[in-house]
Amino acid sequence: MTPTYPGAVAPERSRLVESLGIRLRVHEWGDPEAPPLVLCHGMFDHARGFDTLAPLLAERFRVVAIDARGHGDSDWADAYGWQVDLADIANVLRDLGRPAHLLGHSKGGGQATDVACQLPDRVRQVMNLDGFGPSPEGFRPPGFEVDARSVPERFADFLDRRRADEERAWRPYASLEDLVTRRRRMNPRLSPEWLRYFLLHASREVEGGRVWKVDPLAAGGFGPWKTEWIAPGWQRLRAPLLAVIGSEPDTWGPLPEALLGERLAFVPRLERATVQGAGHFIHMERPRETAALALDWLER
Amino acid sequence: MSAPSVLRHGRVSIALHALRGGAGRALLCLHALGGRAADWEALADAWPGPVHALDFAGHGASGWVRGGAYSPELLAGDADVALARLGDAWLAGTGLGAWVALLVAGARPAHVAGALLLPGAGLAGAGAQPDPQAELDTAWQRASDAQQPAPAGSTASDPLAVLLESDFRPPDYAEAFAARARRLLLLEDGAPRPPWWEAVAASPRAERVSGSAAEALVRLAG
Repeated sequence: MTPTYPGAVAPERSRLVESLGIRLRVHEWGDPEAPPLVLCHGMFDHARGFDTLAPLLAERFRVVAIDARGHGDSDWADAYGWQVDLADIANVLRDLGRPAHLLGHSKGGGQATDVACQLPDRVRQVMNLDGFGPSPEGFRPPGFEVDARSVPERFADFLDRRRADEERAWRPYASLEDLVTRRRRMNPRLSPEWLRYFLLHASREVEGGRVWKVDPLAAGGFGPWKTEWIAPGWQRLRAPLLAVIGSEPDTWGPLPEALLGERLAFVPRLERATVQGAGHFIHMERPRETAALALDWLER
Repeated sequence: MSAPSVLRHGRVSIALHALRGGAGRALLCLHALGGRAADWEALADAWPGPVHALDFAGHGASGWVRGGAYSPELLAGDADVALARLGDAWLAGTGLGAWVALLVAGARPAHVAGALLLPGAGLAGAGAQPDPQAELDTAWQRASDAQQPAPAGSTASDPLAVLLESDFRPPDYAEAFAARARRLLLLEDGAPRPPWWEAVAASPRAERVSGSAAEALVRLAG
């Protein structure tokens, strides 16, 4: 049975794009001759999360949604990192062969913004959906406990996990409903109906139930990265940036206005928008409003 | 060199070479960016006990990281699985290997009695922090352009390992690791050193030494 959700349209075309030895799954909607608009999803999500947004954008654009490495139907890698994710987006742009617009959500929004900084000739306009990085205190999902230990002590934990990584695997959930229940604990604003659709494509059937497609190693790197490094590089941004947040604060966003304003002050050509009634998952919660913003702002 | 032991670090196989046998305290050697275990053969005789040298992922006889997400912290994991095999060890590292030796010495003080940090390729990384004004270094683009399959039987480094030149090494991060390490020797030769090195050298657990690398090894053993 093919699952349905009101407004969700499966991709018209799918293909693979190779990047640094990894095959990326790329889904497309719309006229292949139309101006390209590349969509980048967030952590633990996948390109089919754009199934409600993409068909609305496809009336004017060739919409190209990437499964990030280790996510969705893209290959798993041996390790993960921000720079290679940027390389993957850049390689999809290179594959398109013409400058494109970028739209990214959360981590994908931050990466779309960084790609635009680094490849000014390949990126026309950037729409960032609540992807402006964590606060210095970090995200605090349910069950999160502050780790007050020193950096080297936490790094020892990382090394302990690395010693055991070979065996790391998701345990199967008995049913799709169990996945929905699990994800709703992290994202209570997303409806069970949407999650049934979204998580069906986020998981695959195995003996004994369903497992996440995402690579368990895809999160949890270690390094000296600091939140104050996020925004100063945006000074380089030549492309106009539309910074979008939702009106409803949740675990994952938006940043406190003072901090967000401080970061966005680095962007030379900034416009801002707030989607009413949306939390962090702006395009999943309000696909029509998000598409209207994009269609109004891109190539205005 | 005889055939190396093959260790698993996550999904990558790591070659650990025994350069010198013997009893007593083992030395684990960590090569520079673009280097390999054999680079330590000449120095191995300066150590009074057994000497082991690692090929980092993407180097020498070790496997390559599929997808190219190399980082010093990942290589520290390579060194850490070797440390798990050896039990306890002293560390010596050159360039990038010196930075990795610091990370492991600070994370595993119960198993690393001390580390010798030597200059060499990959010592500075991309600097202490991002510089929004600096020329863009898109190492990943160069890596992507350079990408090619490994020639059969080759021990050339993975072209994607150039991504190991793009990480930042803030002094306060280095200092936190130095503060937990048991003993650190830093070899000075008058050449300028990156900010992280100077921060480590200022730590109470660290000591600057001069002379040859072999002399510094003897000092570490003593």
